[in-house]
Amino acid sequence: MDKIKIQFVLNGETRQVEVEPDLLLIDLLRERLGLTGTKVGCGEGDCGACTVLLNGKNVNSCLLLAARVNGCEVVTVEGLGSYDKLHPLQEAFIAEGAVQCGFCTPGMLLSAKSLLDVNARPTREEIARHIAGNLCRCTGYTKIINAIEKVACADRHCACSREAEEGR
Amino acid sequence: MSEFKVVGQSVPKADALDKVIGRAKFAADISFPGMLYAKALRSPVAHGILQHIDYSAAAALPGVAAVLTGKDVPGANNFGIIIKDEPVIVKNGEKIRKIGDTLALVAAENEAIAEQALALIKVDIEELTPVLCPIAAMQPDAPKIYDKGNVLAVRKIVKGDTEAGFRDSAVVVQQQYKTQMVEHAYIEPEAGIALFDGDVVTMWVSTQNPHYDAKEVARNLNIGLNKVRVIQAATGGGFGGKLDVSVQVHLAMLAVVTRRPVRMVYSRTESIKNSVKRHPYTITMKTGADANGRLTAFECTIIGDTGAYASYGPGTLTRSAVHATGPYEIPNVKITAYTVYTNNPQAGAMRGFGVPQVAFAHEAQMDMLAEKVGISPLEIRLLNALRPGSLTATGQYLEQSVGIVSTLEAAAAKVREIKLERRGGRL
Ligand code: FES
Ligand code: FES
Repeated sequence: MDKIKIQFVLNGETRQVEVEPDLLLIDLLRERLGLTGTKVGCGEGDCGACTVLLNGKNVNSCLLLAARVNGCEVVTVEGLGSYDKLHPLQEAFIAEGAVQCGFCTPGMLLSAKSLLDVNARPTREEIARHIAGNLCRCTGYTKIINAIEKVACADRHCACSREAEEGR
Repeated sequence: MSEFKVVGQSVPKADALDKVIGRAKFAADISFPGMLYAKALRSPVAHGILQHIDYSAAAALPGVAAVLTGKDVPGANNFGIIIKDEPVIVKNGEKIRKIGDTLALVAAENEAIAEQALALIKVDIEELTPVLCPIAAMQPDAPKIYDKGNVLAVRKIVKGDTEAGFRDSAVVVQQQYKTQMVEHAYIEPEAGIALFDGDVVTMWVSTQNPHYDAKEVARNLNIGLNKVRVIQAATGGGFGGKLDVSVQVHLAMLAVVTRRPVRMVYSRTESIKNSVKRHPYTITMKTGADANGRLTAFECTIIGDTGAYASYGPGTLTRSAVHATGPYEIPNVKITAYTVYTNNPQAGAMRGFGVPQVAFAHEAQMDMLAEKVGISPLEIRLLNALRPGSLTATGQYLEQSVGIVSTLEAAAAKVREIKLERRGGRL
């Protein structure tokens, strides 16, 4: 099979790679590029553990051909924050006890980000609906929703409204 | 209290930081240079005898490093936490007891080659009638899944005289309850990676039970326990289902034979087919009470489907029998509990360990009795709840620390509070 040359922005960095036409995005990320933060729970689009952001939208990387991301921007959990500078969602997940086994966490964080980026103040119901494609078998979702709500500027003292004020 | 750093404080989970960053290493996240990928050939039939297996074409496929069958298991070729009845790989001439039993293992340069190799293995299986219902399996003329018979374990509890107890009852409720098989569906499928450095097998596995795993690896490879090192990788949920052996012995065998790192990751389908389940139960329960609602007598028969292998079956059955009366004091009790082999997926440990099934039954009984007596569901429970000084079904005298009454009272207070809120504070 002829390989396809693609170029895309991965976690803010331009990458050029050659991929087989049938290579899945999840395998490109995990096996080829060593970004194992993105998980495989089912490989069939059912669980959301493999969620990444494609041009800001949450997608299942197990259902996407790697060649499809040519010219796009991809964000994985590795691009969300670092040990030194956690993303507010990462901080909130730790503080609210939203992480148990942690296998759903990377996908959950990215789905949450894709919501907050377009809707800074979602209701609990909107949060629940938005993460419906991300299964969590440990937490029962309550603490995950609490964590997302905490970041979602539900009150004026939350981290992101402070950031916004400081930026002004 | 405030002098304590941990007790009474909300402490961040030790590994939460690595998990939100994406750095926590689950078994499938670990790799080594020169690593092989392992896959298992699984039985497509629920009950049969493996007559012949031909893997010559698979072994000849370029990129295949090893194909192993039952004859290649150096040691005991059986495992199980309570009873060693599950084969590592079914040998020629031996029994297949469920869909998913391992017939062969392949290690190859990549997963696609391993899959191709599996498709090239030819198996000849003499099919036997599968036994899919535990009640049918208990009949004397049922096909035998094991030579010793299909009933794996029986538990009996007798306290007082139930006949007399029912004679003195004003109301009696008798019902049959059925509970379903439940899959844990932990979000991370089973996975592991093993290395052999010429002396010691080291593996990182998704497991709840590394010490037990190490013993099973040693027994089945016929090597010393000091030659096996099992390390629990970050584990993506278990709920009891990862207490049993999955990839451990297979990986160890392949690592020793190929002398290369080997990784095995189950697909979701493989995980569901091969992992243990919550036991499905058929429960017949008869409960009597006097005219005030005080419990007088209790009889219960439990038949559990433990599937093809014992796993934690005998243990969960004990818990079911011991807890069948629920958190209530009953003077006259007779419980008989069976757990029975079938050709269904094996059942084992799952959150609650045999108790949720009986809780479904005894709580339904309480509601029906309350209705017959004409008191509330809360009243009948408070009246009969175990307290310090109570005798349980097994005759245990409870001296202290029995929380059910205070729990019921706290729950009732919460219900009143919520009802009040819903009415906007108006009584
Ligand atoms: S692994 Fe992609 S949805 Fe489950
Ligand atoms: S924390 Fe385990 S699946 Fe969500």
